[in-house]
Amino acid sequence: MNEHTAEKQSGCLINRRDFIKLSSGAVALLADAAVYAGRQDRKPKPKNIVLIFTDQQHIDTIAAGGCYHVRTPALDRLKTSGVSFTQSYTANPVCSPARSAVFTGRTSSECDVYVNGRPIRSEIPNLGQWFSEHTDYETFYAGKWHLPRTYTSNIPGFNVINTGIGGFGYLCDTVMSRACEGFLRNRSKSKPFLLVASFMQPHDICEWLRLNMNNPTGLRYPELASKLPELPDNFEFDSNEPDRIKKTRSGNEPFKGNWNKEQWQYYRWSYYRNIEHVDAEIGRVLSMLEESGHAKDTLIVLTSDHGEGMGHHQMVRKSTLYDEAARVPLLFSWPGHISENRTDTTSLASGLDIMPTLCDFAGIKPPENMRGKSLRSILAGTSTTGNEFVVTEVSSNTGRMVRTKGYKYITYINDSVEQLFDMNNDPGETVNLAANVRYSSILAEHQKILREFESKLDVPSAVPNSDTWRHKI
Amino acid sequence: MAKQKRTIVGSPITPNMLVELDAISKLPPTHGNFNPVGNWTHHYRVWTCHGYRESGNDNVGFLRIERIGSSSETFMLNIHQEIVQNDAITNIINGKITCRNNKLASPAEWKLSSQFEGPDGKIISALSSHNHGVATESVTSTAIDWCLFEAVQRLVFDKQSSLRFDLLEGMYLSKLRHRLFYRGVTPLKMNDRVTPLHCFVQTGSGILPYEYWLDERHRLLAVISMNKAYILDDEAEQIIKREAKEARESYKRKRKQEQ
Repeated sequence: MNEHTAEKQSGCLINRRDFIKLSSGAVALLADAAVYAGRQDRKPKPKNIVLIFTDQQHIDTIAAGGCYHVRTPALDRLKTSGVSFTQSYTANPVCSPARSAVFTGRTSSECDVYVNGRPIRSEIPNLGQWFSEHTDYETFYAGKWHLPRTYTSNIPGFNVINTGIGGFGYLCDTVMSRACEGFLRNRSKSKPFLLVASFMQPHDICEWLRLNMNNPTGLRYPELASKLPELPDNFEFDSNEPDRIKKTRSGNEPFKGNWNKEQWQYYRWSYYRNIEHVDAEIGRVLSMLEESGHAKDTLIVLTSDHGEGMGHHQMVRKSTLYDEAARVPLLFSWPGHISENRTDTTSLASGLDIMPTLCDFAGIKPPENMRGKSLRSILAGTSTTGNEFVVTEVSSNTGRMVRTKGYKYITYINDSVEQLFDMNNDPGETVNLAANVRYSSILAEHQKILREFESKLDVPSAVPNSDTWRHKI
Repeated sequence: MAKQKRTIVGSPITPNMLVELDAISKLPPTHGNFNPVGNWTHHYRVWTCHGYRESGNDNVGFLRIERIGSSSETFMLNIHQEIVQNDAITNIINGKITCRNNKLASPAEWKLSSQFEGPDGKIISALSSHNHGVATESVTSTAIDWCLFEAVQRLVFDKQSSLRFDLLEGMYLSKLRHRLFYRGVTPLKMNDRVTPLHCFVQTGSGILPYEYWLDERHRLLAVISMNKAYILDDEAEQIIKREAKEARESYKRKRKQEQ
């Protein structure tokens, strides 16, 4: 062991000591889970787990999923070797809040991560801490964390093998996948691991937007004119939207720069290239899993923190509850244990489901008060009973979305405009049914679901609007 | 504390924009005996832009490319790249590529090692990896990204011709259907002087367009792709080594404070 490795392990021990300094209630939970973990679980357990994170990936960006604008051999491999969900939602379409939910199984408001750059509330354990305490997996992390620091060598519960470069995906992801390559090449096959490979791309579209805001006189690369993708079917937007959405849109670069159609198309073309970039880096990790002999024994999960506007509703980036920002890829692969090449178009899934699902695969009880459910039986094809609904938060805890099998309901604090969409007949979310009396009972039903969901949450009083939500609807 | 005002750059990075954003204040002169097909060493500073004028634009590493002519059929490129990440973790790439003497500098044989240096300045052996590849003579339509830095210097400034190839990025990642073509000449205004720069553009899967900017002597001065730039700078290595040292010291101080 070299000195640096020793330092990292020491860092991990410090983190574990910090973790044990939890409130007494949480310590009691630990003890309970430790007993549970000691039981023989009959379900098979993957030798290793790799959780791959992308940043800002629109769900429709995988060639094998039908996106013909991109070449994504790695994502295709993952998709065809396992189960992918098409109705998978982030718990919050903003970086840090979304990540807090994935790594804890608790809502971002419960985690106290209602905006970017906040740490997870200390009494809520993260995935690394929980696995370190209750499993024999060694826990490793590479890449973007953002809770609170974007790139850091100090992540509670994880040995950080690589940090990253502040804010930039291209170089950052290349270096990060090389670190994963080295890790997998050198890792002994006898020692189980949980590795989080957290990529930055296709987030570089944010820099692209700032560097291409001004509407040019012509296409910067006229050679690309015939290759530009068309605009999405739901490019137009309803003028009677909640103010929050209008404000977000008008503050974005396309409106500041008064973009023409070609510039919108060029933006979409550029975003697809960023997808291909991260796909190649993911491919390096997948290839190395195979070359190192780990692949057959490894459960691979891929998701993204949130989606990307891509011109739907003339939006760019994230922070809205429309599907382009709120829906994210969610892929699971474990050859021989998870159905192969199955696209689940009906089950509702959430970032909140990842923590309980991984605990289920690891044969341990998850922390208490999980807001999501294990997807394991759905992945195995032994059950079709999943979530009846999923909830997503947004905008500094001022917005909520409830997605049921048929509808999506969106509401914001201090905004009289609510939104209700028929997701089966209007998946592009173009016709707001909230004010249509024929849908009043459906609206009321969704308000009730949200009210009941909110009543169970344990949101710190310091989180903005923590009380408002309990009484809003 | 008042929030720092940030102005969106708004327009793509070009050599003139690099000057505007203080990423370039001078360019090393091209010596009279510079010959693209001779022996030379170029140092590039790797600079990234966050999209704002005032903040978030940093040097993050350097790339050194050494060309050594070996025979009429092949030549050698030695690659050394260091990228400094947060908390003073540095990725160090060393590569040796035997290139065919064709327009793309197609690889014949290559070796690459990737190492990570921790904040204590020591190599993290658990993250090291090595690759080795050999291409048959029929592989002439494949290019390695670093080799293109050499190849563009040998191309004629001609809008009528273009090259089509598949990219083997970092000697590992396969990116298909690339095209490299000459765009034209643009004046660079810096220090009251105007220098004509010639631009080649590379497009293809898995990348945003790369622009290769060369002077009249065919020396590659800058490579720009969206928010990152490789800028020819004889002092690049010293600048980055100095910044890396400062980052290590800062990290140590931070750790000490945390303890």
